Amino acid sequence: MTSAPLFHEQTARQRISSLADADTFTEFLPPPERVMSPYLPQLDIPVSFDDGLVIGRAKIGGKPVYLAAQVGQFVGGSVGEVHGAKLTGLIQAAARDGIPCVFIVESGGVRLHEGSSGEIAISEAMRAVFECRAKRVPTIAVIGSDIGAFGGMGILTTCCDFRIITEHGRLGISGPIVIEKWMGKEAYDSSNRALVWKTSGGKTKFLLGDADLLAEDDAPSVAAAITKLLSKSNPLTLRSLKARQLELEKRMKDFGKTGDPDAIWTALGIKDVAEASLATAPEFIALAKKK
Amino acid sequence: MEKFDKSFPSKPLSWPRGRQWALAGVVGSGNLEVLFERNAKAPDKMDCHVESSIPGHKDSWLAALNDFAANYPVGGTKVTIHDQGADPIVVTFRLRQALDHVLKKSS
Repeated sequence: MTSAPLFHEQTARQRISSLADADTFTEFLPPPERVMSPYLPQLDIPVSFDDGLVIGRAKIGGKPVYLAAQVGQFVGGSVGEVHGAKLTGLIQAAARDGIPCVFIVESGGVRLHEGSSGEIAISEAMRAVFECRAKRVPTIAVIGSDIGAFGGMGILTTCCDFRIITEHGRLGISGPIVIEKWMGKEAYDSSNRALVWKTSGGKTKFLLGDADLLAEDDAPSVAAAITKLLSKSNPLTLRSLKARQLELEKRMKDFGKTGDPDAIWTALGIKDVAEASLATAPEFIALAKKK
Repeated sequence: MEKFDKSFPSKPLSWPRGRQWALAGVVGSGNLEVLFERNAKAPDKMDCHVESSIPGHKDSWLAALNDFAANYPVGGTKVTIHDQGADPIVVTFRLRQALDHVLKKSS
């Protein structure tokens, strides 16, 4: 156990200050600039100075990065017009300057209150991510809280070169409650936390290969994982896309009819599911390797 | 929504050199964000702007802010609050936290 604060309990600003090297973070559009949502006041919803996204420049492990952190508590970390414009601008700056871009994701996706503006904002951010990828500028998403990365942010996260996840992180498109509403409680019980985490949680996503690194739930472990990836990129080619498609088809074939997530863990090489469920990140990685 | 502006007399706060603002809290259920900004024009006043999603509690707000301005030297400060239903003790705690952020040496 480490004595560092738990990453999933930190706020966006605390995460940034504990990930970035001391005194290296410069915020873009800081709170006094008051670049806020023009839509929320019309709906009698309070606004926030940063519109739920803290962006800026920093160094991690001595290397320069552009850094963004979403505020999950503010309207679910959702991407509104301003939030999305800040995100897009940061990614475009990364592409222009050839500096890696790191996203601390904590979002349910598009801010539905802002309708099409939110949808467009997130599409623009995705386009900017592909601009980075075309220029081989690393884009790294970190998912370290149970709000996780869902909806449009789930898609944006999977557009990045790499994903770092912690046990608490979750990654998906439709959230558990949405799936339950559409498919029924018999198909997917969103109140069953073990089931929810075994289908969308960090350990499962790491086992399936949807996340590249599994980190412990503290900033030093997350920062170490980021440092490992900063000088790498994951080229996006027709070949890599086709390989990924085959991988997903195989996954559908292997697990498409499986009702029990434990069976997926077992099939992916986890011998003792109970032990692996309680394991720390390094222990889990070791267990996953012993196939 | 409850929105209002109000000034409270307070002893001058000596802002550390280079520091112009500090933020505490987030806008979330039962929580609020408090922004402190330097306001050299009125060194013996705490100027407040409050926006709260819960209407009807202006008296509690005024009491909490008045107490804070009386208990701490926060003159020459502009305080802006975005609230989503925090209770008075959380409001006081966030104000105190923002003041701590102003006074702390490094960011």
